[in-house]
Amino acid sequence: MRAAAAAVTDVAVRSKDPSLTAALASATCVLLGTTTSAPVDAREEPTWDVSTSLLYYGEDGDRVRDLSFKSLSRRLYSDDRVLTLGLTIDSLTGATPNGAIRQDGVQTFTRPSGADAYTVTTGALPLDDTFKDTRLSLSANWQQPAGEKGLVNVGASASKEYDYLHTGLNAKYAHDFNQRNTTVSAGIAYAYDTIDPVGGAPLPLTPMLDVGDVSNRLGDKHKDILDVIVGVSQVVNRNLVVQANYSFSRQDGYLNNPYKVLSRVDGVTGETLPRAPGPNGGPSGQFLFENRPDQRTLHGIYTQAKLNLGGRVLDASYRYMTDDWEIDSHTLDMRLRWPVGPSSYLEPHVRFYTQTEAEFYRVSLDDSQSLPSFASSDYRLGNFDAVTAGLKFGWKTRNDNAMAVRVEWYTQSGTIPAAQIIGNQAARDNYPDLDALIVQVSYRFGL
Amino acid sequence: MKRRSMLLAVILALCAGCSSMGVDPWDRDVLAREEMALIADPLEAATDDHIYFSKEATSGGRGFAGGGCGCN
Repeated sequence: MRAAAAAVTDVAVRSKDPSLTAALASATCVLLGTTTSAPVDAREEPTWDVSTSLLYYGEDGDRVRDLSFKSLSRRLYSDDRVLTLGLTIDSLTGATPNGAIRQDGVQTFTRPSGADAYTVTTGALPLDDTFKDTRLSLSANWQQPAGEKGLVNVGASASKEYDYLHTGLNAKYAHDFNQRNTTVSAGIAYAYDTIDPVGGAPLPLTPMLDVGDVSNRLGDKHKDILDVIVGVSQVVNRNLVVQANYSFSRQDGYLNNPYKVLSRVDGVTGETLPRAPGPNGGPSGQFLFENRPDQRTLHGIYTQAKLNLGGRVLDASYRYMTDDWEIDSHTLDMRLRWPVGPSSYLEPHVRFYTQTEAEFYRVSLDDSQSLPSFASSDYRLGNFDAVTAGLKFGWKTRNDNAMAVRVEWYTQSGTIPAAQIIGNQAARDNYPDLDALIVQVSYRFGL
Repeated sequence: MKRRSMLLAVILALCAGCSSMGVDPWDRDVLAREEMALIADPLEAATDDHIYFSKEATSGGRGFAGGGCGCN
């Protein structure tokens, strides 16, 4: 290096040529490890890593549709410090099951606002088509080393829908052991959410009333959620890394879905008890708003393995969750990233999910029995299996950014406990099965 | 008390097992690849978490359960 510097100086001394002076400056910079072309340097070492995606989620039968834009921007500083900013904008439309059962006859319901009524045709699954919402979600996280082997991550999140506000804080600490082959982590998150239902939160287990009658509606409601996660990840060998987490979640407050009702039915025939709608319209049957316990505690075990199989990477995970609503779930998820050529890959994905029903899940309310303290016919609290199958194709663009397209199908199929089926209900399809198409296009670039 | 001792013994045995696993720093070429990260695509993972949070009774486990209404 000393010889090179001497040679450059020698050339400069012997010449007054400006181009040589520039060459000298440039060479000096190279020798000093600096550069005069800062923009090129910035491109070579991006400080922002931005992932963006457009998502389409659409359920069959004119049910929920979501068009969503998401971005996750990571500002990379030296010394492993990272700022991550997340943004999601969801545009939701479509119809959703209101919780009532099918009937051999037209059914009418009052909309959540109480200002109007809607009609469901004979034998059809009662869907509330009022549903339309825009959701904005923001998150910010800061990660930095703590000592030589520790990593701290703190963050905040907020999301707003027309009828819902979520605010949350989270913190996580990870510590490396055993030459960074073992990482033990612990995290805590707290959320405080406010729900302000359209038309007001209904008094639990009171009837859906006529259009214009909002006498059983209350104001907004709150819930808070505490999550704790502890985990360990372990490098097993050059091609295998595994992880195991235990998670605890405690939800307190208003856990009802304010838009869901249950049909009150005859104890012998299973038919919905009729009701005479008021002059401005209203429910054609007896429908009661649901009620759930105001507390829920969940425990979960999550295990994951990433295995390199000669360039193909298998990502397999299993999760078990159980809670005091007596919902147990098992989830098995597998992806295989399969390189196709030097800069693209295919990734098939399958996911199997199964859950048992909540102890207070009821498809309808038997009029011959006393009213239970808690009851919900929300299909998400029922006994169902779900399968996701999909394929992703990813490739590097000419400017070395990453593109990916994935298409997936998600299907839910549920069963009602036989003891809950009354009379004529046996001849009807009482569980609102679900089929959805998921298409996501993502683009990742550096700045 | 006996169960607690058993649990402690199992944890210690697992930790002892962990210390003999792993690789040297210069053997991390494969593990350092992006697709070998536990969450290889955070945006896709967040998308999936929100879809399943909205449609199923249980969520989270990999990370925090996430927020939102999920009323629809």
